[in-house]
Amino acid sequence: MAERGYSFSLTTFSPSGKLVQIEYALSAVAAGAPSVGIKASNGVVLATEKKQKSILYDETSVHKVEPITKHIGMVYSGMGPDYRVLLKKARKLAQQYFLVYQEPIPTAQLVQRISSVMQEYTQSGGVRPFGVSLLIAGWDDACPFLFQSDPSGAYFAWKATAMGKNYMSGKTFLEKRYNMDLEVDDAIHTAILTLKESFEGQMTEDNIEVGICTETGFRRLTTAEVKDYLAAIV
Amino acid sequence: MSRGSSAGFDRHITIFSPEGRLYQVEYAFKAINQGGLTSLAIRGQDCAVVITQKKVPDKLLDASTVTHLFKITENIGCVMSGMTADSKSQVQRARYEAANWKYKYGYEIPVDMLCKRMADISQVYTQNAEMRPLGCCMIVIGVDEECGPQVYKCDPAGYYCGFKATAAGVKQTEATSFLEKKVKKKLDWTFAQTIETAITCLSTVLSIDFKPTELEIGVITTEDPKFRILTESEIDVHLVSLSERE
Repeated sequence: MAERGYSFSLTTFSPSGKLVQIEYALSAVAAGAPSVGIKASNGVVLATEKKQKSILYDETSVHKVEPITKHIGMVYSGMGPDYRVLLKKARKLAQQYFLVYQEPIPTAQLVQRISSVMQEYTQSGGVRPFGVSLLIAGWDDACPFLFQSDPSGAYFAWKATAMGKNYMSGKTFLEKRYNMDLEVDDAIHTAILTLKESFEGQMTEDNIEVGICTETGFRRLTTAEVKDYLAAIV
Repeated sequence: MSRGSSAGFDRHITIFSPEGRLYQVEYAFKAINQGGLTSLAIRGQDCAVVITQKKVPDKLLDASTVTHLFKITENIGCVMSGMTADSKSQVQRARYEAANWKYKYGYEIPVDMLCKRMADISQVYTQNAEMRPLGCCMIVIGVDEECGPQVYKCDPAGYYCGFKATAAGVKQTEATSFLEKKVKKKLDWTFAQTIETAITCLSTVLSIDFKPTELEIGVITTEDPKFRILTESEIDVHLVSLSERE
């Protein structure tokens, strides 16, 4: 990591034993656009707010909910450019696993590897931690999985969670609404409602993105499908 | 979440500040205004246009060598806004990346992939302390085989996006508001309309009545997807038709 630059880490301990750069990175995440993940009995739902600052932006040119493999997808809260780096690395790690083991990478393995990468950037020379938290959704062995990966390199498995702006109220909302028997359709409905809690302005199919992971694999919902779900809410 | 005090370096290298901001990246955006120019790009129905001011600060300078429009490949062009040296460096890198892609994969790099690659490189500068972000903004235009004419912009933060119309430089905010109003009304401009809207936008925002020597315009159309810089006489034709309309 420190090829020709700094040979010392920029993330160092404060007198109280904290790694402040990581805490600041978490602030950057908490200032980012809200995203939500919910694990249902037959799949996982990822949803995020994608508000563009101006109508001049072409919303179809960049996506936040992205597939990593056929059966794993990811969304983030925080800094977009940092996310692209991790997305690229995650895709490569998944293929490297397949090359060696000739089977699709289990979600937990991918999460463990990408979290290692994030941890490296908190300890290597001359680099800063990533300013994103990732929500990774996958389906392997007839089981759905939802993981969150933080800038520190720590990862957690969730039943449902929220990240980004107003994540505390999002999580409280989910705690009330979550139950183990949710199906994917209900989960999509709940995810959109969670986003709506902190949404300023009118929610349309162009300013949110939803992805689902079921036994048929991971895919991002089309704007038409999102529109149908939104119509069911109003 | 405790608010610690920074060690003082967060303004000098790209590490996080206590609020989770990257000051060096924010300063890089301010550096784009050092150039003192404004540029913009508009996507029409079957064309994409980039336009920028041409200011030759010294009469002794050879005006033909002063340019902010660059050809990256035969079919992709860009306008650079900001610090000249950083701009030239980024253009060289873009040309290398495009040529490398052609060598590795055997076909021309699509506009969005080029912009993504340049943005990914810019992101590295925001994460490694030993390199500062570049003080320039690149707006790329090209015609995509599947999606038609495209306008993409990438900035010092490593962020990139496709646009219907966009601006960069000193009067970026004013130009963007102007373009937003125009785009709300109409989105399928013809070639001539796109160029005229671009000229009108710059004129209005900078309050300058342009002469052909004070503008640089680069175009790409679906019928002729080669990046072409308009000559003075072609620019004059558009300026005349604009003035006739008034």
